[in-house]
Amino acid sequence: MIEIRFHGRGGQGAVVASELLAQAAFLDGKHPQSFPFFGVERRGAPVTAFCRLDDRAVRLRTSITRPDIVVVLEPGLLRAGGVMDGLPPGGLLLVNSRDDPARLPAPPEVRRASVDATAIAVAHGLGTPMLPIVNTAVLGALAAASGAVRLDALERAIDRFVPARPAQNRAAARDGFGAVRLAPAEVAVRAPPVRAGRTLRAGLELPDGPLAVVSSATIATSAWRTMRPEIDLGRCTRCNFCWKFCPDDAIELNAEGYPVVRLEHCKGCGICAVECPPGTIAMVAEG
Amino acid sequence: MAQIVMSGNHAQSYAAMLARVQVIAAYPITPQTTIVEKLAEFVADGRLPAHYLQVESEHSALQSVVSASALGARTYTATSSQGLLLMHELLHWAAGLRVPVVMGVVNRAVAPPWSIGADYSDTIAQRDTGWIQFYAESNQEVLDTVLQCYRIAEDPAVRLPAMVTEDAFYLSHTVEPVDVPSSELVDAFLPAREARAVLVPGVPARLGSFTGPVEYVGFRHDVARAMDRVLPTLAAVEEDFARRTGRDHGGPLPTYRTEDADAVLVTMGTATTTARAVVDRLREEGHRVGLAKLRLFRPFPVEALRSLAASVDRIGVLDRSFTFGPTGAAAAEVRSALYAGSARPLVADFVAGIGGRDITPDLIARMYAVLDGPEPPDVTWMDLAAPEARADG
Amino acid sequence: MARLTIPPQELVHPGHAACPGCGAALAMRLLLKGLGSRTVVSVPACCWTVIATPYPTTALGVALLDNPIESTGASISGIRAAVDALGLPDVTVVGFAGDGGTADIGLQALSGMLERRTNAIYVMYDNEAYMNTGIQRSGATPEGAWTTTTPVIGVGRGKPERKKDIMAIVLAHRPVYAATLNPSFPEDFVRKVETARGIPGPRFFHIFAPCPPGWRFTSEATIEIGRLATDTGVFPLYEVEDGRLRITRRLSSLKPVEEYLSRQGRYGHLTGAERERIQAQVREGWERLRREESVGPPPGPVRPGVAATSGPEPATVDSG
Repeated sequence: MIEIRFHGRGGQGAVVASELLAQAAFLDGKHPQSFPFFGVERRGAPVTAFCRLDDRAVRLRTSITRPDIVVVLEPGLLRAGGVMDGLPPGGLLLVNSRDDPARLPAPPEVRRASVDATAIAVAHGLGTPMLPIVNTAVLGALAAASGAVRLDALERAIDRFVPARPAQNRAAARDGFGAVRLAPAEVAVRAPPVRAGRTLRAGLELPDGPLAVVSSATIATSAWRTMRPEIDLGRCTRCNFCWKFCPDDAIELNAEGYPVVRLEHCKGCGICAVECPPGTIAMVAEG
Repeated sequence: MAQIVMSGNHAQSYAAMLARVQVIAAYPITPQTTIVEKLAEFVADGRLPAHYLQVESEHSALQSVVSASALGARTYTATSSQGLLLMHELLHWAAGLRVPVVMGVVNRAVAPPWSIGADYSDTIAQRDTGWIQFYAESNQEVLDTVLQCYRIAEDPAVRLPAMVTEDAFYLSHTVEPVDVPSSELVDAFLPAREARAVLVPGVPARLGSFTGPVEYVGFRHDVARAMDRVLPTLAAVEEDFARRTGRDHGGPLPTYRTEDADAVLVTMGTATTTARAVVDRLREEGHRVGLAKLRLFRPFPVEALRSLAASVDRIGVLDRSFTFGPTGAAAAEVRSALYAGSARPLVADFVAGIGGRDITPDLIARMYAVLDGPEPPDVTWMDLAAPEARADG
Repeated sequence: MARLTIPPQELVHPGHAACPGCGAALAMRLLLKGLGSRTVVSVPACCWTVIATPYPTTALGVALLDNPIESTGASISGIRAAVDALGLPDVTVVGFAGDGGTADIGLQALSGMLERRTNAIYVMYDNEAYMNTGIQRSGATPEGAWTTTTPVIGVGRGKPERKKDIMAIVLAHRPVYAATLNPSFPEDFVRKVETARGIPGPRFFHIFAPCPPGWRFTSEATIEIGRLATDTGVFPLYEVEDGRLRITRRLSSLKPVEEYLSRQGRYGHLTGAERERIQAQVREGWERLRREESVGPPPGPVRPGVAATSGPEPATVDSG
């Protein structure tokens, strides 16, 4: 059995990628199982999906905590933490990234692969430049890097199950298949890390009931962002439109009345850039 | 202390008034209506300075008192049958939010077909919602138990909602003398609510929230632990109540003539009174029988039942509802409680009195006879036949 | 430095879990700017259940109570009774529900709350579908709009029925104040909130809440689309106090509805004829609104007053 965990952002197609992989594997004669992390999904927020491929019926109905393969649809998520959890020595990390796979931040025992799926998706007109739908390009790369599924099965699955732009998505999968770059594990074997795991606080009382009192300001939402506002303060008129219209309370006004973006909370929606009357705010791609 | 001849429903109303409830929600349903009508009178004539919400459904009735309780108010509402079923979703909310709402329920059959007779299907269907459940036998017990419930429900160790149920018509519309304690006595027994973990205007906090599975398990477990603390809390509250009023309702499972009994019938609600008379008669005839009253159904008095079972060969359970499982709910719970105990007497279920059928002395005597017979069946529907023309008893 | 045109206080914390460009998030932020910290908000199952962030965190700088989807009206009646009973009459009580939780499953409790004259503000933030569950049609979804349960496939042409007129339903209960609010017009928005805050009795806000994922537009366009909704007449801004209707954004001419429709993927399939029908309906609605404004209030008592909660104190007339 191969266990694959997908990490993406809401709206990028991570869950669809996992399902599409399952459909393709089924066409390939495998017994697949695919399911999303059972949580709430928000566009831009990190999401997780799980896919198991086996030669016989899958007999597990649990999250994947020891994946053979981790697929990351958005390189910024590597900063968010948790992505590499449980990936064993010899496991495969596939990231949508322009970077050389050898430069991907991963433990040395992990095999690494990268593909510039964003460029492929944009080239084929999939999604928008701010939120390109990269899943089919990434799946093509996965087919090449792992052999978990054959490219022709993937293309047939796309034809059957992708309602929008199947031809472009097939082309993206083929491009991804051809464009993937691989780097071997740097270290052959190391003892697998022992994870503490989350243990239930046995007998712990939560005497106050479900009463939440911690401010959400303790939660960083910067990982949701693919673009970031940059304000040319030299041309800023201090009209405070950007502050007024920010849905995320991510812009504050300093003592002089100039806007300051709280980058730990900005989700990069771009409203401030559109609403700024003198046009002093530019949305810049995150590196 | 004054004695007033009143119905079980009015015993609910008087108890709510004496408890100085601050918010009442009311939606009428037979046979609960006289509870909320009397409360409307108390509020209108100034005896009860409470906010009386006229809501548009039982769902809204429970929602409004749950929300009021979440802000720290002492609250009361009452319902029956279909109304309780409509409240089902909110019953879970009350327990999960840990709000000490107290509710009167008049046990009534569930449609279809329509019936307004006594029947426990309505409250038994709510046994898994995290509410404390008391089943009352007399109007006095209704009044006293409502007062005790506020103490138990609001206890910092518990903080769970509680319902006090009474049989349709057999209590709700039966008048009998009730000792009404003075307000001074009740004020001393039941001070104003000391609200914990509630929302306070001006203080940022979210009550309810949503959680991942780890915290969710923790909160559910906390409700279970709080339920475990009801029994010791009830013992302390009842002792204090007895000291002040001279009345003790015997804890979660009061027994009657169970010493040296071979067979004991477990009853609930008003059938208990009749059964007590039958026990006396059968004892006179030389049968070694007794009874135990399931006064508290949630939490279930497991230990009390086990100690009863230690000295009894056969236990019959009178179920005034049927849950379409192996036995009725009360019998299933009794069996489950005893299975892991050291003594496992035979347990036989008697379904009787549903839809308001009379539970007569003869019917109860027949239960004891079946229980004493060669092979008591798992479940016996006692009153499928039409009543005989002659008077029972 | 430009003067601030809306209050500086922030009672929605950053770090909340709304999608980028969320109109509902901005709606709450502006609402609480106008209401202040002595506010208790009851929120049913809706996007804001999630936006408010999981235990042990909260995204609001005020007290927040969760309630199930259909009973917001009853919840705020209970909260009002409690704060009155506890001697806290200065507290503002707010129900903040989505369009499904208001116009569909929550209509009964809303009607009850209005009819029993609960001294509270009921807010319907309208993103025009069940967005928290993933864009299913609600009674407030406009005609022609694509949703996942009104697909554009085969014979499907988006939602065949017209949008439920929640303001008409609410006004039939004679609230002391009701208004339409749009976060694209923050000053008008906050002024209405501050006006309503000073009027005791049942009050209602219908807030326009553009939803980038659900309406199929990119997140930076939320404010522009909101502005177009009002300036095309799709979502006119008005208020009704004591039965008197007043349009608060007067338009000498309406922009073509096409400018609004063309910005959203959910309308992308509409034919010219379908677009013309929507245009005609919008024009008719705008004309009706202008007629109602000129006619004045209906005869008879229009402000029955605040709920006469029985109690030691007289019925509470609060300032917030």
